Amino acid sequence: MRLVWFDLKHELAPPVWILLEWFTFTIQLFIYGALISRLVTAPELPNYQQFYAVGFVVMMTFDVGSHTGRNFVEHAHEGRLPYLLSLPISRTKLFLSITLQGGVELALMLVVPLTLTLSLIGNLTVFSVTAAIASLFCLGFGVAGLMLGLSFIAFKSSDMYTAIVTGLSTVLIRFSTVLYPLIFLPPNYASVAMLSPLTYGSDLVRLILGFDARILLNPMYAVAVLVALAVSTLGLGMFLLQRLVEGVKSG
Amino acid sequence: MTELSRILRLARNDFSYFFRTKWLMAILLSLHLSDMLVVALVYGRLMSFEYFKFFVPAVVIMGLFAAALDTGRRIWLAFREGVIHYYLSLPISIQGVVVAYLLAGGAAAVVYSTSLLLIALIVLPAHAILNTLILLPFLFILAMGLAGIAAALAALASTHGEYFFAYQQVVQLLLLTFSTVFYPMEYIEKYLPPFLTNLVAANPLSLAAEAMRQYTFAGHPVDPFFLLSILLTSIPLTVIGAVAYLGTLYMVQVKGKL
Repeated sequence: MRLVWFDLKHELAPPVWILLEWFTFTIQLFIYGALISRLVTAPELPNYQQFYAVGFVVMMTFDVGSHTGRNFVEHAHEGRLPYLLSLPISRTKLFLSITLQGGVELALMLVVPLTLTLSLIGNLTVFSVTAAIASLFCLGFGVAGLMLGLSFIAFKSSDMYTAIVTGLSTVLIRFSTVLYPLIFLPPNYASVAMLSPLTYGSDLVRLILGFDARILLNPMYAVAVLVALAVSTLGLGMFLLQRLVEGVKSG
Repeated sequence: MTELSRILRLARNDFSYFFRTKWLMAILLSLHLSDMLVVALVYGRLMSFEYFKFFVPAVVIMGLFAAALDTGRRIWLAFREGVIHYYLSLPISIQGVVVAYLLAGGAAAVVYSTSLLLIALIVLPAHAILNTLILLPFLFILAMGLAGIAAALAALASTHGEYFFAYQQVVQLLLLTFSTVFYPMEYIEKYLPPFLTNLVAANPLSLAAEAMRQYTFAGHPVDPFFLLSILLTSIPLTVIGAVAYLGTLYMVQVKGKL
């Protein structure tokens, strides 16, 4: 807990980045989302603004997950990781503290956007809200684990890591159902979108929040993919962290 | 060596630094190419309106904007890493340093957006490619204006360096969202109050995106008054940026620090 607070307090004093994310979401939803919604005429999407709101929340979840991975790399290169590795705490606890920090950051970032999204959609139940939050956290942990796994590339070149992660992030978002339903993607794009974890995350959250199931993926696949992603990437991250040796130059 | 050749050497150095930053190129290219080849195409399938035709020319302007805005990051880095002290020790005036950065920012943005334009010309037939040659100098002035905004932000953040990216994100968000880059003016007029609609109409990004759509891709004859309006909105931004950056450099020159 002390490690989690040690990192978080820098972000909360003052909470510029959190406020900025909330501001970005508000402008995107009520200007961009609202105006694009007026242009969308597909009968399958009677209210694109609601569809976009969920997509943007998923994008934010993805960003926070990526940020956790990126933080890990920066800490490694600034020499903080070797210090943490030398502390008298187990690698498992260290890994849990990194994961917990990511979870708290995600909760802080999403509190306002998710509240706005849920109030825009309306007609919700305690179950649907809880299940949507659980799905988002599952996705967030999966992405954070993926980025932590990828961050081990950075021990050879941080430049290469940043280029891969940023390029990958854009592609994962654009080739997914974050911004549009799968049925509207051209077939060759749709097959790529089926490989993006964001497709499963956004479709599952939309299904839980009551969107038309005909434009969404089968929820069983979505649950299976999200759980598999979170468990496998976090497991990989933990495994790699166990293998790091303190005092050995990593960058 | 004359002052002009020193300015050009410094500008060339900053210009090449932009294209040598691998992660930045990865971000910009993946973002703009996917906007052009994925978002524009798929949104077009959601709308009865020809969104692909509307949005692809605007992506070129988005590229110009993003590349010009990176000037601010390079200025901010020069402050943070102390490179600015090295520049101030060179036999070049502080006005020369400001001009070099704005020239490099404008040139990098035009070269980068031209590469996007070439791709846009492959996916979307253009009716008057020659009009683009008329547009280019105006786009260069616009890019200098946008680089000016970035320079002003870097100067503003010079004492609180960590907030530079927050300022940049706010400016980028507001300028892009309140423009006709993503949606046509008639929809904006129906949704936003008149004072915001006027701001959208005067936004240089709206003007440039409209010029790219009308003159390069639709092939309408170039209206000199429209080009003049791009100049009139861009030049003040260049001047504000130059003055803000100059003031900061002067402070560093006099006090030795910020």
